[in-house]
Amino acid sequence: MNFFKLGAVAVSAVFAGQAALAETEITFWHAMGGQLGETVNQVAAGFNASQDEYKITPVFKGSYEETLTAGIAAFRAGEQPNIIQVFDAGAATVIGAQGATIPVQDLLADNGIDFDINDYIAGVRYFYADSDGKMIGMPFNSSTPIMYYNIQALEKAGVTPPATWEEFANVTAPALKEAGYIPLSQSHLPWIFTENFFSRHNLQFASSNNGYDSNDTQIMINNPAIKAHFSALVDWKEQGLFEWYGTGWGDNAKPFEDGNVAMWLGSSGSFGGLLAKDLGFDFSATMLPYWEAVTTEPTQTFIGGAALFAMSGQSAEENKAAAEFFRYLTSSDTQYFWHQATGYVPITEAAYEAAKADGHYEKFPAAEVGIQQLSLPAGEFTRGYRMGFYVQIRDVMNREYGRILTGETDVESGFATIEAESNKLLERFAKTQG
Amino acid sequence: MKRAGFTSIWLPVALLLPQLSIIAIFFYWPAGWAVQSSFYLQDPFGFGSTFVGFENYTDLTANSEYMRIAWFTVVFTALVTFFSLSIALLLAVKADKVIRGAKSYRTLLMWVYAVAPPVAGFMGIMLFHQHTGPITDFFKALGWDYKILVDYNSTATAFIIVSVWKQIPVNFIFFLSGLQSIPRAVREAAMIDNRSGVRRFWDITFPLLAPTGFFLLIINITYALFDTFGIIDTLVKGEPGNNPMTLVYKVYMDGFRGNDLGGSSAQSVILMVLVLVLTVFQFRLIERRIHYS
Amino acid sequence: MARTQTRKPFRWAPVFDHTILILGALFMLVPVVLAFITSSHSAVQIAREGIMFTPGSHLGENYSKALFEKGGFTATIDGMVMLKNSLILGLGFAIGKIIISMMAAYALVYFRLRFATFAFWIIFTTLLLPLEVRILPSYEAIQRLDLANTYTGLIVPLIASATGTFFFRQFFRSVPEELAEAARIDGAGPVKFFIDILVPLSQTMIAAIFIIMFVFGWNQYLWPTLITTDEGLFTLVRGIKQIYQTMIDANSIPEYGQALALAIIAMLPPVLIVIFFQSWFVKGLTESDK
Repeated sequence: MNFFKLGAVAVSAVFAGQAALAETEITFWHAMGGQLGETVNQVAAGFNASQDEYKITPVFKGSYEETLTAGIAAFRAGEQPNIIQVFDAGAATVIGAQGATIPVQDLLADNGIDFDINDYIAGVRYFYADSDGKMIGMPFNSSTPIMYYNIQALEKAGVTPPATWEEFANVTAPALKEAGYIPLSQSHLPWIFTENFFSRHNLQFASSNNGYDSNDTQIMINNPAIKAHFSALVDWKEQGLFEWYGTGWGDNAKPFEDGNVAMWLGSSGSFGGLLAKDLGFDFSATMLPYWEAVTTEPTQTFIGGAALFAMSGQSAEENKAAAEFFRYLTSSDTQYFWHQATGYVPITEAAYEAAKADGHYEKFPAAEVGIQQLSLPAGEFTRGYRMGFYVQIRDVMNREYGRILTGETDVESGFATIEAESNKLLERFAKTQG
Repeated sequence: MKRAGFTSIWLPVALLLPQLSIIAIFFYWPAGWAVQSSFYLQDPFGFGSTFVGFENYTDLTANSEYMRIAWFTVVFTALVTFFSLSIALLLAVKADKVIRGAKSYRTLLMWVYAVAPPVAGFMGIMLFHQHTGPITDFFKALGWDYKILVDYNSTATAFIIVSVWKQIPVNFIFFLSGLQSIPRAVREAAMIDNRSGVRRFWDITFPLLAPTGFFLLIINITYALFDTFGIIDTLVKGEPGNNPMTLVYKVYMDGFRGNDLGGSSAQSVILMVLVLVLTVFQFRLIERRIHYS
Repeated sequence: MARTQTRKPFRWAPVFDHTILILGALFMLVPVVLAFITSSHSAVQIAREGIMFTPGSHLGENYSKALFEKGGFTATIDGMVMLKNSLILGLGFAIGKIIISMMAAYALVYFRLRFATFAFWIIFTTLLLPLEVRILPSYEAIQRLDLANTYTGLIVPLIASATGTFFFRQFFRSVPEELAEAARIDGAGPVKFFIDILVPLSQTMIAAIFIIMFVFGWNQYLWPTLITTDEGLFTLVRGIKQIYQTMIDANSIPEYGQALALAIIAMLPPVLIVIFFQSWFVKGLTESDK
């Protein structure tokens, strides 16, 4: 049952081994609490046990935001850690401050470690890269939005998981409603129904190549396709085909776990948690639906979650140690262990192959959906986005989406507000870089 | 005011030095930093920055959302202050009056004081939970479609109830102390003059409690403004969305979470000025009270 | 006030009074009791059903795990270590604050200082800026003083606010002036007067402030999280937040039972102190209120 324990045995004897004398010690600040934090500790302990030149110490620094702010404060005081975990929405802040970090690609090359971006799964490659495609942050806990469904519910309604939103609206949802379910909920409107909506349909999300090419960026959210999508959500909510339980992740997942909601859009990484909860029904997963009216060639989504950045201002030996840790982290064994223990996607093709060869996906078919979706054909606008003050932009989206779905405002003025406030924030961010 | 003073010069300076130096390092320097930052837009790591004059301030005043948050803060502060003071006063008056079990009531009503704000928020989450919360069920039974985190007013209600719950014990303690320091003779005289308990309360007890009340009023206003931060953060689970928030939480959101140093510093400065006005007001009241007593 | 009871057969007023008090006590207590009951269930159960009204069978397990299960990367952190750190933080903060603010208040009230009012205002305005707002520069100051990862660095910045000084100033001003006068006539110097007369006189006030400050220090979260990287310095409230973080990330089941057990444990020391010092507490505040 508890598959989290799988890899634990391998590293449990680590603390018995005494450290050698001339070790280079490095620190790693992360935001992984609870069970995930334990798994991070296991990975770090595994690295320390695998060689005796370097020793890494992971430190839990609170939420993503707290970790980033602690890193910034430490950097200003010259006490920064060697490696810091930064989440997707904070990427522009840490990458914008050139000189705060060493691009991982350079770090690895400088320390004689082979790096080929094509070793990585397609949807993972360029989110944390610069405009030339150089990888700046090493993707760490990577996930992508997918659709989970209650197998029994769908059987009872006599439908199959929908591939398109048209199918959902016309076939799946009415049948599920008829069968006594709330057909759909989702857990993160900016991530699932905005950022990845643009990627899935290969629509431009922001000017300057989704923000990658310049700080002088304008958000392009006021797009008819996404407005039509939100209008549909409002209609579905009225007809009882969709329900929204607030901005909280868990509040939207709970009704699915309770068996009241038949399909739920969550993270590919949610799979382990669902399994551990022993739901009382069988579930599986499928890719994020798309609108046939918008595109007939749906494209890949990109990763959410967070990446690891090597902070600058450290000695050459410590940088070497950080590089060695990245080498260990990206090895297919470590990635497969991480994938199994957490549900996050493995970031390299090699680890994916290892998982396949091991029969992991025969046991857990839902675990593969995220990787498949990340490996779909890419498009011009599928690599992700790079926008400053994006944490606040997401706050604005959450606020206006909430108002749209509670009827406080309408789709048209909601999106106009998001556009205006986001562009104001982007303009402010550009000045911070000046 | 004319206290018989010792005449040493160096001793008082030495006595004040620890406090003043800690304050200089951890208060005045950061405060000065905030004022300075409020005129810049800067990269948090310290690489780039642009002087923008008063733009951080004008951006705030031009933002209708900021004004809405300010307005909510005023309403929230008024309601939390009113309910936590009046409920505590009612309980203190009754606890002062009853003979049997007075001490047990006192203990029971006081000890919640020690609960940490995140813990209070955590219990709030469980009790007000959208799907499993007993309070949610209770409101639904009353016919209110209560949905915390979806509906603005539902969330605001939870903020207020948890904040009031957390603050009642402190107010209770102060009111009870105030009541017990009213001289026995005054009470007994009142008993004879006026048989109606309610009249007696409003005519005699309430005016005598007024100084305590004024003092608590300010304490409660600062509580509602600043110290409810942990409760709000926990209840909205760090993602306020379309839910209400207070000005301090907004500072935290933009500065600590969003790394907008200039914008959040400007907000801090606005708050500082606001509370400075409040403090001057408070100071005047308390000083005056001391003179007449 | 009790003695005026009448000979009338039955009075409704006391019944009414007790009803209000009982309702008030229930309002205050029920959430804590429910948290305690819920802490006796397994995490899966709590995740599924929320607050529980009947006791479960995981009480011992949750509490022993919360207290004794070694966690963290160094596998040395358990509830006991966090309890110790919280105590150090709470006690260090309370004692440090009392000493520093008593000294300052004494200087302000008992000496003829030209800049007394100015100094008072300098101290008093610190009520304006909560730590959440000045956290980045405070962190820089701590780093420059080389105090990160020390108990001193944890405690000292929190002391930079005026509450204690303010309370003591109010109290000292209510002490009869004749005392200082008499002491001076007796030839006692300011130090002797302070230690032999004023400090003993302030006992109840000290007790009251001690409780308020202890609880404040004990409950700190943001500051300890930001400045400590050494697991050996983690506090209880931080331990609770760490589990709680899982609830927000929602990737696995948070250890609800354990988090609630920790929350209950975290409540105990301050509650015991409040109950223990209760009578002093009320008295102390009363005196300051004159």
